[in-house]
Amino acid sequence: MLRVIVFSWEYPPRVVGQLAEYVKALATGLAQNKVDVNVVTYDEHTMSEAKESSGVKAIRVVNPVKTHIGVLTWVLTLNQEVERAAANVYYSSGKKIDLIDVFDWHFIPAAVALKNGLGIPFVYSVESLEDHRSPTANSSYNLAIKSIEWLGFYEADAVTVKSEWMKEEVARIYQVPAQKISVIPPNSDSGISDFLRVYSAVVEAKKNGT
Amino acid sequence: MLSWEYPPRVIGGISPHIYFLSKHLAKQDVKVYVVTCDFPGAPAHEVVDGVEVYRIDSYKNPSPDFATWVYLMNMNMQKETAALMKKISSKIDLIHAHDWLVADAGIGLKHIFRKPLLVTMHSTEMGRRNGLNTTAEKMIHETEAWLTYEAWKVICCSDYMINHVKYVFGLPNDKMVMVPNGVNPQNYDVDVPSDFRGKFALPEEKIVLYVGRLVYEKGIHVLINAVPKILSQVNAKFIIVGSGYMKEQLLNIVRSMGLEHKVLFEGFMDEANLFRLQKCADVSVVPSLFEPFGIVALEAMAAKSPVVASDTGGLSEIIEHDVTGVKVYSNNPDSLAWGITKVLKDEGYARYLRENAYRRIQEKYDWAKIAQDTKRIYEGVLGEYSKSFWA
Repeated sequence: MLRVIVFSWEYPPRVVGQLAEYVKALATGLAQNKVDVNVVTYDEHTMSEAKESSGVKAIRVVNPVKTHIGVLTWVLTLNQEVERAAANVYYSSGKKIDLIDVFDWHFIPAAVALKNGLGIPFVYSVESLEDHRSPTANSSYNLAIKSIEWLGFYEADAVTVKSEWMKEEVARIYQVPAQKISVIPPNSDSGISDFLRVYSAVVEAKKNGT
Repeated sequence: MLSWEYPPRVIGGISPHIYFLSKHLAKQDVKVYVVTCDFPGAPAHEVVDGVEVYRIDSYKNPSPDFATWVYLMNMNMQKETAALMKKISSKIDLIHAHDWLVADAGIGLKHIFRKPLLVTMHSTEMGRRNGLNTTAEKMIHETEAWLTYEAWKVICCSDYMINHVKYVFGLPNDKMVMVPNGVNPQNYDVDVPSDFRGKFALPEEKIVLYVGRLVYEKGIHVLINAVPKILSQVNAKFIIVGSGYMKEQLLNIVRSMGLEHKVLFEGFMDEANLFRLQKCADVSVVPSLFEPFGIVALEAMAAKSPVVASDTGGLSEIIEHDVTGVKVYSNNPDSLAWGITKVLKDEGYARYLRENAYRRIQEKYDWAKIAQDTKRIYEGVLGEYSKSFWA
C-alpha cells in the first residue's frame, strides 16, 4: 500500500483560497484508491488528529510562536511543527512513508529537511508562484519566498502543475527541466490516476536509486 | 553541536565558548560535530583539535531583516545537518543547541531523528533588551520559550541566569543545570616585553584597567566618576580598552575634569596586546550595572590581576569578597573608589587576591572540568532517553 503525507497550509474547515478544497478532494480520491493518506496542515484553533470517513487522516498543528514580524518568520517556525507531525507519522508507520506531496511553498523547508534527514522523497505541487502573486515586487521579502520556491524545485523529485502555461512558467523562471514537471489539470477525470502515476514513478525511481 | 558562530567567525561570547567546549569534549572521547555559519576564507569542512567542523552557506536567501535571516539560516542549517546526520546517523546521540539563533534547526532535527535536544541559554531577549518592547523582541522571546520547552535540559552559565531563565520561561527546576563558562589560563602565557608597561604608564603609576564596551550597562561612567577620588589617595593611570556609544561623552567628562593625562582611551586592542596589558594591570575593574555572567572578571583572574567588581548578576558568584576579589556596590563611585584604593595601597592584599583567584579559576572555571561536567549531563540525558519510547 502506498503511504503518502500531504502538506498543505490550508485544509477544510480552514479555507483561505481554493487550495483547501482542492487538496481535500485529492486526499479523499487517493484514499478511495487505497492510498494511506496523511494530511499535515495548520489550524490555529484545533490541534488534533482526525480520521475522516474517507480514511484520510488529517493532522493539524499550531504555531508555537504567536508573535511574528512577518509571514516568513511565521512560516519558518511553523515548519518545525509540520516536521514533528510528519516524523510522528513516519515512526508510527514503522518508517514506511513512500513520499510527501507538498502544496505550494509554505512547507517546502519541512519537506526538504525530511528528505535530507530521512530519505523521504517529495513532490512539489504548484498552486501559484511568487512571481505571479507579486509580479512587480522585488523586495528581499519577495526574493526570500522565491528562494524557498527555488529550493523546492531543486530538491523535489517531481513537480506537478495544473496547466501547460504553468509548466512553461516553472521551467522559465526556475530552470526546472521539463521532464521533471507533470501537468495535471484540476477537475479532470484522470486527476487521481495522474497523481498516482507521478507518485509511482517517484517511488520506483527511489527504489532504483536514480 | 549547533551554533551560529565558531572561530574565525566571532561575533560574541558563544564562538569561543563553542571552541573550547567542543575541543575539551573531544579530549574526553566525545565525538563532536559542530555545525555553524560560514566565514570568508574558512573551509566548509575541517577538523579542529579533534572536532569535526561544518560551515553552512548562511547567506543563501535574501532576507528583509536580521530575525528573518536567522530563521532562513536555520532552514539551511537544518537541511545540511539533516544530510550529515543521515550519513552518520547511528553515531549521533544528541543535539546540543546554543541560543535561539539555532532554535528552529535544533527543534526540527530533534523530531526528525528522535534524538534528545539540549540547549545552552547564554542570554535572553528579555535580559538583553530590559523587557520586551517590540514585535521582533516578543517573537524572539517566544522562540526562546519554545526552545527551552523542547529541550531535555537547559544549561546556563551562572546561578543568576538559572533563576532568570527559569522565571522568564516558567521552567521546572529539574530541567535546569548550571555549568559555568570557562577561561583559558594558557592565553596568558605570553611574554611581556620589558618596555611594554612603559607604553601605558610611568613607573610610579599603578595601572587600573577596564576592558569592555563603552555602554551604559557596563558602568564605565561609574569608574570615570571614581577617578578623582582614587587619585586623591594613589597615583594611578586608568586604561580603558573597548569602544561604544558613550565614548565621546566619557572623553568630555574626563577633559572637563582635567584628567586627560591620567585616563587613556585605547579603543579596540588586539588579543596579544590585551593579554599583556591584563598581566600588567595592578587592578582590573568590572563596574557593570547588568551582567549575565562576567567573563571579563574571569579573564583578569586568569591573568593574575586583582579584580574589583560590582556586586551584581554573574559577577556576584564569580567573585568571593575579600577572597578572590573585591565586591563593591553597583552604580556607586564611592564604593568603587574604596575597592580600587584598597587593592592599590596594599600589595600584600593584592597578592593574596590574585593567588586565591588563580586557584579558583583552575578549580571551577577550567575548560577541562566544564567539558567533564557537560559530558556527565550528556550521559545523564542519554540514560533517561534510553528508557523512553523514542529509544
